[in-house]
Formats: sequence, C-alpha cells, structure tokens
Amino acid sequence: MNNKFDVVVIGGGHNGLVNAAYLARAGKKVLVLERRHVLGGAAVTEEVFPGFKFSVCSYVVSLLRPEIIRELDLPRHGLEILPLDGTFTPMPNGDYLWRVNDHGRTRREIARHSKLDAEAYDEYGRAMIEMAHFVKPIMSMTPPDPTTLSPRGWKNLAFLGRRFQKLPDDDKYNQVQLMTMSAVDFLDQWFETDVLKATMSASGIIGTFLGVRSPGTAYVLLHHYMGEIDGAFRSWGFARGGTGAISNAIADAAREAGVEIRTEAPIEKILLSNGRATGVVLKNGDEILANVVSSSVDPRLTFTKMIGEEHLPNDFCDDLKRYKYRGSSGKVNLALSGLPNFKAMPGEGPHLRGAISISPGVDYMERAYDDAKYGKFSRRPYIDMVIPSLTDPSVAPPGKHVMSCFVQYAPYNLKEGSWDDKREEFGNTVVDTIAEHAPNIKDLIIDRQVLTPLDLEREFGLSEGNIFQGELTLEQLFFLRPVPGWAQYKTPIKNLYMCGSATHPGGGIMGAPGRNAALAMLKEI
Amino acid sequence: MTVDAIIVGAGHNGLVTACYLAKAGFKVLVLERREIVGGGAITEEFHPGFHCSTLDHTTGPLNGQVISDLNLTQHGLEFITPEVRVLSFSTDHRPLCVYNDTSRTISEIEKFSSRDAARYPEFLTSFSRIGNVLAPVLSMTPPSINRPTANDAWQFGKIGLAFRGLGKKDEYRLLRWGPMAVADLAAEWFDTEVLRAIVASRGIAGASAGPWSAGTSLGLLFQAALDSNPIAPSIFPRGGMGGIAKALTTAAQAMDVEIRTGADVHHIEALDGNESKVYLGCGEELKARAVVSNADPKTTFVRLVDPIDLDPGFLLKMRNYRAQGTVAKMNLALERLPSFPGINDSEAQAKLAGRIQIGTEIDYLERAFDASKYGEFSSEPFLDITIPTLTDPTLAPDGKHVMSIQIQFAPYKLRNGDWKSRGQEFADTVINHLSRFAPGIKDSIIAGQVLTPLDLEETYGLSGGHIHHGEQSLDQFFTFRPLIGFAQYRTPLRRLYLCGAGTHPGGGITGLPGANAAREIAKDLKNGRR
Repeated sequence: MNNKFDVVVIGGGHNGLVNAAYLARAGKKVLVLERRHVLGGAAVTEEVFPGFKFSVCSYVVSLLRPEIIRELDLPRHGLEILPLDGTFTPMPNGDYLWRVNDHGRTRREIARHSKLDAEAYDEYGRAMIEMAHFVKPIMSMTPPDPTTLSPRGWKNLAFLGRRFQKLPDDDKYNQVQLMTMSAVDFLDQWFETDVLKATMSASGIIGTFLGVRSPGTAYVLLHHYMGEIDGAFRSWGFARGGTGAISNAIADAAREAGVEIRTEAPIEKILLSNGRATGVVLKNGDEILANVVSSSVDPRLTFTKMIGEEHLPNDFCDDLKRYKYRGSSGKVNLALSGLPNFKAMPGEGPHLRGAISISPGVDYMERAYDDAKYGKFSRRPYIDMVIPSLTDPSVAPPGKHVMSCFVQYAPYNLKEGSWDDKREEFGNTVVDTIAEHAPNIKDLIIDRQVLTPLDLEREFGLSEGNIFQGELTLEQLFFLRPVPGWAQYKTPIKNLYMCGSATHPGGGIMGAPGRNAALAMLKEI
Repeated sequence: MTVDAIIVGAGHNGLVTACYLAKAGFKVLVLERREIVGGGAITEEFHPGFHCSTLDHTTGPLNGQVISDLNLTQHGLEFITPEVRVLSFSTDHRPLCVYNDTSRTISEIEKFSSRDAARYPEFLTSFSRIGNVLAPVLSMTPPSINRPTANDAWQFGKIGLAFRGLGKKDEYRLLRWGPMAVADLAAEWFDTEVLRAIVASRGIAGASAGPWSAGTSLGLLFQAALDSNPIAPSIFPRGGMGGIAKALTTAAQAMDVEIRTGADVHHIEALDGNESKVYLGCGEELKARAVVSNADPKTTFVRLVDPIDLDPGFLLKMRNYRAQGTVAKMNLALERLPSFPGINDSEAQAKLAGRIQIGTEIDYLERAFDASKYGEFSSEPFLDITIPTLTDPTLAPDGKHVMSIQIQFAPYKLRNGDWKSRGQEFADTVINHLSRFAPGIKDSIIAGQVLTPLDLEETYGLSGGHIHHGEQSLDQFFTFRPLIGFAQYRTPLRRLYLCGAGTHPGGGITGLPGANAAREIAKDLKNGRR
C-alpha cells in the first residue's frame, strides 16, 4: 500500500482526473487524492435534497475537449451528453428572444426583432467559427515563453505568428478585436437588437469580475463559443446524470488505466526535500511518497497553504499575490414542484428545455456589474437558468424538477456585512428577479440551496469563489497564466506541476489543462 | 499649380508634417477651415483680456526631437514647467502634491502612508525603465502585422531586441501591464486612495473608460514612454498652447510652406493617377501629388472622401472605429485666485501652478465614468484643472486669472435631451461641484466658456468630439491605429495619407504622429512611387 507512486495528483476535479488518466495511460503509477467524499471538484452531481440531484456548481458542458472524449473513450465509460436546446430570454415588455439550435428558426426569430441583425447573424456565426478554428490548436498547446532564448520556444512563438499570417485579412481584424475589445463593443459592430446583444454578451462575463462593456470580455465570448459537442461548434448540453457524470466517466477511464483514487483524503502539505517535491502529507498524518506531485487545485491552495512562502522565491510569491481570483458569481439550486410559467411565453414548452437567460438588455447587465464594483451583489442580477430534469428525468422525483441558476454578480468581497449574513437575502433577490418573469416560481419552490462565493471557497476549495480558479482576463491568460514565467505547468519547486484551471487554457469543463499538463510532464519524467 | 503635398487641417500634427516635408524639399500647402491655426493646440481670447488654451491645456510633452529638428526654440517656443505635476485632494479634502522632484513627492506621500512613500521611487524607476524601451517605438512607423515586409520584420526584430534588454522581470511586467485595468495596477503599488486616483487618472484621460476598464494601464505606459514618468506632466508653452501653433507656423513659413486659413475642404479625391485633388467649399479646386489629412480618420473617410472610392469592407470598419468623446471643456475668467482646502495663501502660487485634479479615489473616477455608460454626464465629474496665469500672467489682465478645466465624463451622445439644450445645466453642475473643493469660486467668475463634446465636433471638427481622434484602447493602438493594415500613415487611397492623432502613437500634444507620417510620405514622394 505504501509503496512509492510515480505521480500523486492533488484534487479529484475533472482536470486532476484527466491528468491522472493520461499519465497512467503512459505507464505511470498514479494516485489521485480528493478532499471531499465525491469526485469531480466543481463538476459534481449531488443529491442536495432527497430525490433531487443537482449539478451543484458547473451545470452545462460544451468545452470538454473532443480529443479527451476520444482518447479516454469516455462514452464507453458512461458519458452521454444530451443537447441543450437554445436560449430563451424573456423581456420585461412581454416579448422574448428565443434562439434555438435550428439555424433557420433562430434567424427568423431574430428577424422578428431586426432584419439587419438576422443577416448579420449568419456572418457573425461564420466569423466566430473561423476565430474558433484559429484559437483551437492554441488551446491544446503549452504556452511558449515570450522571454525565452531557446530555439524551441522561438519555434512555438513563430508558429503563432505564422498562423496569424495565414488568416484572411478580415479574420485578422476580427481576431485582434476579439482579443482586445469588450463584448458589447464587439457585438455593437454586428447587431442593433439590445436583448440579442445582452444575451450574447453574457457569455463574455461569466466567471470574471468584468462588465459586458469592459475590454477583454470579447475574448471570453470566444472561449465560450468554442464549445464543441460531437464535433459541432457552439452547442451546449447536459451530461445524463448531471455534470458529475462527466467526472465519473473520466474517473472510470482513469481507474481502468490503473489510477488509484482516494476520496476524503485532505492534504495537509506537500513534502519537500532539497527544494524538490517528494510527496504529500495527509491531514491524518499519512505520508505518501511520489516522484512527482501534480496539483489540480488553485495556486493559492497549492503554494500558500500546502507549501508555504518560505520555500518559494520572493518574486514568485509577489506574483502569486497579484494573481486575481475575485469570484463574482453565485449559484442557486431550486427543487421545484412544477415548472415555471413565464409571462413572455406561458405554459410548458420546449423553451424551458434550453437555457433561460435573464439578460433583457445591455444596460441591465452593466448595472448588475456596477453594483458589484462597489461591493454589493446585484440588485437585479444576470441569471442563467436550466431545468435539466426536463431532459434527464432521472435527476428529480416524478413530476418534480430541479432548476439550476447561475447568478452574476456576487462579489466575494462585500463592502458591508458578510456572506454568512447575506446568503438568504441574496437567494431572495435571485428568486424575486426570476419571479418578475415567472411569477409562479415562488409557489413551486420546495427547497433551495444558495451558494455564495464564500460557499464555493469553503466547499469546493475555489479561492475567493472564482469558478475558473482565477479570472480569465487578458493579463492572466496564455503565457501569463497563472503567473508570468510559470505558464508551462511547471513551478519553481522541482517535480511539482500544476494541472488545474489556473493554467492555460483556463476554466470551464474543458479538461485541456489536465491533458496539456500531463503531456508536458511526460516529456520530463 | 500642383504642389507636392496639401495638408488638410492645421492642427499641430498637420503643421509638424508640413514642416518636415518642407524641410525635405517639398512644396507644401496647408489648408485650415478655421481662421486660426493649431487645431487642439490653440490660445484664444474667450473674454476681453482673458486668453486661454481653448482645448488641450498642457503638452504631452512635445517630442524633443521634433523641437530640435524644426528649430522651434529659435522660432519662439518656450516652455514653463512648474515644480508641481499634480495636486489632488483626498475624500477628506487633504491635499497631495506630486512634484517633478522625487524626494519632495516622497515627503508629501509620507503624510498619507510611509509604505507608499517608500514604494514611490521604485514605481518611478520601473516605469522609466520600461518607458525608455518603449520611447523609440513611439517614433517609429508601426510595422504591419497584416502583410509584413522584410522591413516590417526587421522593425519587429528591433522592438524584440529592445524588449530583451529589459530582462525577464520587466519583460513580463510590460506584457502583463498593457492589458490591465489601471485601478489594479495602481493598487499593486499604492494603498493611498488619492495617490491611486492620481496614477489612474492618466489611464482614463480622454477615454471612454473608467479605471476598472481593462487596458487602461496602456495610458501609463504611453506616458512613461513620452517622458519616463507615468504621472501626467504639467508643461505649458508660454502664451498657452497656441504658443506651439505659433512657433510651428513661423517655422513652416520660414521654409516657404503656404498656410491658408478659412479654407474649408469639402472633398478629397485621391484615387490613382498622378495627382490628387482637394475641393474647397467655395468651389475652388487644388491639386497635389499627395493629400495628407490631419483630420481624424472618421472625418477623413466618412465625410471628406466619396464612399464610392472606398472598399465597402474598409468603410464599414472605419464606421466602427470607436470615437465617441467623453470630455468637455470649460474656461473661466476669474477675478482672483481661488482657494483650495489645505493650501494656504503663501503656498498657493506654487502649489496651484500645475494640474489640479478633482478625483479623490478610484471609486470616484469609476462613478464619474458610470454615468456616461448610460448616456448621462457625471454629477460628480473628474476635473483636470490648470490655472496658467500663475506661471504666465500675460494671459489675463493684472491680478486676474484664467482657469482651464477638462471635464470627464461628458458623453457625446446624451440619452435625455441634447447638448444644445443641456449646456447650461451641465455648466452649473460642474461649477457647483467645483465649489465644494474651491469654495467661493462662484463669486469670482467674470465670464466662462463651455465646450461640450458637440461643440468639439462642430467647431473643432473632432468626430464624436473625441479629443484623441478616437479611443486609444488596445484594439485601436500601435499597429491597429486606426485600423489593422493601415497603421503606416498610408490609406487605401493611393495618394491620401493620415498624419493626425488617429494614427500611431495617438493623441496628446506630442507632434509624433505628424513627424512619423512625414517620414513615410517623404519616402513615397521621393521614390515617385506615388
């Protein structure tokens, strides 16, 4: 039992599991240690209330890299993605915007709001796909070091340059704009319909402490556009059995490859010897030795909690302190006795099977951000809701439903009071906001779970409640993620690697950090 | 007669281009719509006896190479540099002075925080190291990343080499700082809110962005490249900003440049063929080998050029070029020097001589910006004030003063009403707010002039009233200014060039866009390629 492992992976989140699976497939002896009783990290399904199973944190999937699905053969391990059909945005004036996966219908729906926008929508879609194709291979590469002097580093930088050169002129223009502009400024160039811009720009702010008018958010738009299910870009879905099913499938694949996984195994610290990582010590005092330690938890936990600043170079510590988490979102999970009835489209219908977005206008989104800037949660937040029980009845008792509400903005640092005192008030604000569009919601609620950024930190080990293990802002992307000079999954501690969302290409149930890290590690161990 | 180049617009950049081209031996004609040359760098008598820099009130500073190349000092240009860079006030109205002198500044900061005081020298040296590397970049033609030629690759190589010289730590700093929100950057260095606000104010000057907007740190890097200090400088030409226009005019005329005022260009025709034409409002037609527009890019392509001459894709991108101004200007004739909190009479002369800023903390600046997002002017705006009569008494009658106020944020497009109907309400808002910091100022006002963004557009020809000829954000910067593929002062029209603030390195009174443009135009004229 206590013989030495090749690699011990800290954290059984989806990235940790992907990392472990790839390492084991290359013949390494791997152990995964998870603090909680369930695997998956933020990609987890839990029966929060009897009979009601929730994708507690992350609730939809689209970013999971297809090569991971393929290489780990996840469908054989039980992964099944059910498509999420479109986005429904109710408006306060009784109208709505309902985009579905059927392009023709969406086009007609947009034309109802603006004929020009319907035309632009086609072109926009084409442009975004071109952009996504450009960025796609970058997702799977280890970021080059722009300060490097090594020929291999230069080769990678030149690769990026050449790739950019090959783009048609218009795509170069779009690419530059996407990397630098705000979501709304970018969309303003294409569309005039307020509700359309608001709903589309929403994906630019998810998980970041930025407003839809903040530069840098256009990139996150693309990050979310890159979702790929069954090879089709831009489609989102649920995993049957909730998001935890994804983690379970990956765990299954990992175990098959020989990975040993232990839950309820919280780690006290990382063992160091002469500046090298040599294993970990569990909270219960057990020591586990390994040649290499791979951490899928965020840098604050890894370095500040498990190693200690005294073992790290000063510059690195300064950079760690500068790395911004700043959680800005919360989650409200509702157990419902029936389905919400939206004023804009009464009754039960297919519009409830997709995402329901409370994003009626750009100003609404921006005002939600303004509240958060000054340390309050949004009085009227942006909410992205799904009712997975409509597509996957196994997650709720017959006739009952689960509704998952992603809420932004909920700043980790409140100017007044603490989240422990404000949790219910926050929950009420969310329900009140939904009730403005679906008044019957209050009567349907059997139970509710409110997760504030503080809860995300305590329960899921996400520092400051940031769902991406650190903000996806330009100064924290690619070769700057998580800290300048350490974007290649390595750390200043020898034999210690990072493989979580805090590394390139970042958060979301993507698996790419775990895979990229594994490939980088295998070159060296 | 066909001249070598016609410059449309006698802003300071247009005049700089004219001088450089004339110096290279070309025959140049400058056309100015107004009766006075200088564009945004002018001094006007706004009330009998009271003269003020109507728009911009300090220099960027004006580039030293430009000054020496064009012998501007011999042509009468003289600068006044007060010891104070910026004076600002905290929320509890305590003054903080940033001097040119580091040790004096440190003792000022010491009153607020000894930690900040200790960090200040490193803050300056870090920025000046990076600024020194960036400085040559400002004077270069941005290499094309669209279709790089061998020369572009060489230019990139040069930047790369300079970048390497910084060392790993500063290299990464530069990469990280560029896209950052200036509020974050300021907070990385300092704890004192008012000091953070002073630092951040340079990042949002003239921009449609608050300190929390990503990319606002760029302004600091730009400032550091201009004069190795990221904090906005206070450098006044004698006689106000018009002093620059005057010196440039004298220099130009000494080199036989013809400058015509009251010449309103209606249309530019610069397609193929051997010459291009400029049509004036009066119907007159002028010919030149090249036309150089000092007007902003949007005005140039959307108003002065026939859309049929442009590729629709280019025109669409130009229409999407972001140039919605957020700055208004107010010039006041004052009976006496206003008093500010914590500044006693004996030190007022010295401490009020630079920029005086009303922007107490980061949140204050951000709130001022918030209003503009919803099409409203700030009820508590950020004010950048100068009292040029303190260092240059000739601008006003004896004992009287002139106060120049840049007001942010005043969005070009108001959601309720328009600038014509709300000008007075706006002026009252600003004065009332200013009175909270300078009590009694109301009683000392003899006369005032208010320039809203609409006035900036209508009177001064700034599209959208944008004082920088377009947002200076990451997407409209360097090789993307004004558009990717067109950052080398050339345009899709073979014989039309740009030389204004809408080209690299952008706005502010630096003369650099004009100097860079002249270099490229001279190259083409010499080669006879165009």
